[in-house]
Amino acid sequence: MITEALEPHQPLLSVRDIDKSYGGLRAIDGVSLDIKRGEIVALVGDNGAGKSTLIKMICGALRPDGGEILLRGAPVSFGSPKDATDSGIETVHQSLGLVETLNVPENVFLGREKTFRVFGLFNQLDLPKMRAETRRLLEKFRISVPTLNEPVFRLSGGQRQTIAISRLLLSEPDVIIMDEPMAALGVDEGRQVMDLVVNLRDQGIAVLMISHNLEHVFQIADRIAVLKNGRLVGVVATAETSREAVVAMITLGAA
Amino acid sequence: MSTTTADVRAEDGKSIGSADRRFRLEGLGLTLVIVALGIIFTLINPRFASVDNFLNILTQASTYIIVAMGMTFVIAKAGIDLSVGSTLAVVTCVFFGFIDDGMPWALALFIMFALGAALGAVNGLMVAFLAVPALIATLGTMVAYRGAALLHSSGKLYHGLPPEIVWLGQGRLFGIPVPVIMAAIFVAFCWWLFNRTRFGLHCRSVGGNREAARLAGVPVSRIEVLVYTFMGVCVTIGGLIWMARIDGTQATLGTAMEIHVIAATIIGGTSLFGGRGTIYGSLAGAILLTMLNNALVIAGVEFFWQLVAIGVIVVIAVTVNNVRENRIVWLDTLRTRRNQKSRRARGA
Ligand SMILES: Nc1ncnc2c1ncn2[C@@H]1O[C@H](COP(=O)(O)OP(=O)(O)OP(=O)(O)O)[C@@H](O)[C@H]1O
Ligand SMILES: [Mg+2]
Repeated sequence: MITEALEPHQPLLSVRDIDKSYGGLRAIDGVSLDIKRGEIVALVGDNGAGKSTLIKMICGALRPDGGEILLRGAPVSFGSPKDATDSGIETVHQSLGLVETLNVPENVFLGREKTFRVFGLFNQLDLPKMRAETRRLLEKFRISVPTLNEPVFRLSGGQRQTIAISRLLLSEPDVIIMDEPMAALGVDEGRQVMDLVVNLRDQGIAVLMISHNLEHVFQIADRIAVLKNGRLVGVVATAETSREAVVAMITLGAA
Repeated sequence: MSTTTADVRAEDGKSIGSADRRFRLEGLGLTLVIVALGIIFTLINPRFASVDNFLNILTQASTYIIVAMGMTFVIAKAGIDLSVGSTLAVVTCVFFGFIDDGMPWALALFIMFALGAALGAVNGLMVAFLAVPALIATLGTMVAYRGAALLHSSGKLYHGLPPEIVWLGQGRLFGIPVPVIMAAIFVAFCWWLFNRTRFGLHCRSVGGNREAARLAGVPVSRIEVLVYTFMGVCVTIGGLIWMARIDGTQATLGTAMEIHVIAATIIGGTSLFGGRGTIYGSLAGAILLTMLNNALVIAGVEFFWQLVAIGVIVVIAVTVNNVRENRIVWLDTLRTRRNQKSRRARGA
């Protein structure tokens, strides 16, 4: 086990023959995928291909019907998203990331609040600390967020997206999963996020990123995994493929 | 803010958090309404403005205030609890039953609180694990608990509490009625719990967006059970004060209480749609309603008209909230039309 873990080319995260059905619909059908340290794998496919379903199983939001998920070579079974975060997998979800009625720091720290003890008995939220750290995180993106104390439904879609992404940086994760992270962002802001993702990869973090934007995918991904109708069409190295080939895989389902 | 930030936009005064208001005057409007009503009532009847009447109103309000605290958590969690009045009847009748059987009051009190928490937890378990909508689950327990109270008491009018318990309802400390002191301490505690603890934040997050809260790692089902359990405890404290104040109880005690408490919470500005609430607002709402009741009683208005008044007030409060949160579509359409017209007029 330990020698295995030290092997350099062993994948950090692997999914083996995983399945998920919604009623009669097979949303994911026998998918296997490996992600190594320090690599960005892009997950692409048409609408309804099963991308979000696949990552929800990896991050503990859904339980697979069958198959295995291995983290650092050991099988894991997450009962809740918190289990996955505790094991070092951080996720940004598609459009479901935030609680619109909470303010910015409350959203960023939701589920892992900073607290201190009062009277040696009760835990109280450390609002100043959460606020200061939120500001520090957001400064990385150079996006103006004029109010932190207002409910986030008052913010623009891109500002909200940035807040959701900044949650990734709270802990020191080994795996980062992002469902359409650049979808709501402007050119400049999207650039910031891509730089961040590349930066994280260079620090040795494994990144799984869903995107419909092939331009972005070809700019930063090391490998591209294509899903169609719940099945994995293939995984190709970005350097060894062309955009036409990937488009053909997405639409025709042929490698 | 750091002075080394390279952000150009910082110079536009648009950088992070720069537009935050330091002091938020939430609930100011409601406070003004209370003061204005107080002045009006005093002009009509000078007796209203006495210190005694003021303390009397707060004492009357104490049970509603305490139960409205629990309701603020429940509604902020996007739930509702219709069973509060029935729960109050059950716990007070059971307590009295034990006292009549000669049980030491401290033990009876302990059982009363355990029972209150358990009755609340039943609501929470149904909502969290059977996915029964809160409205239906607590409508069911509202009727069932009332039935249980009637069964247990078989129509009896209980009377005669130990002096220690009566003191909780009728005693005074430094000239201030004990119920008022208890309510004040409890409100302070609830403000802290709601705004400064994980539990409060998690309630608000589940109410705001259940799925997002779950994905963020909030133990959603546990919070749901806990919040209704807390509601049960609030009702028990409220019931304790009420029965001590009148030194008695009966199975019909607390009838129509849910509408008063929900009204107080909504008037205070807690959103029925969940996610947001204010402790101060619920306190002010409960005081406002009791003041109105008090004034109506002084004016000799019948109880049934008071119910009509409460109903009207609830609808008005929700409407005001909807206007504030821009939920009324036709109003928005009207506003847009007016803007278009004035623009055309300017263009002409
Ligand atoms: N909760 C659900 N219940 C039933 N069916 C679902 C559910 N979630 C997804 N599906 C179905 O599973 C399939 C895969 O959905 P999924 O959300 O994984 O697609 P996706 O690849 O993320 O698409 P998109 O690019 O539009 O986000 C779709 O056909 C969808 O209708
Ligand atoms: Mg999706």
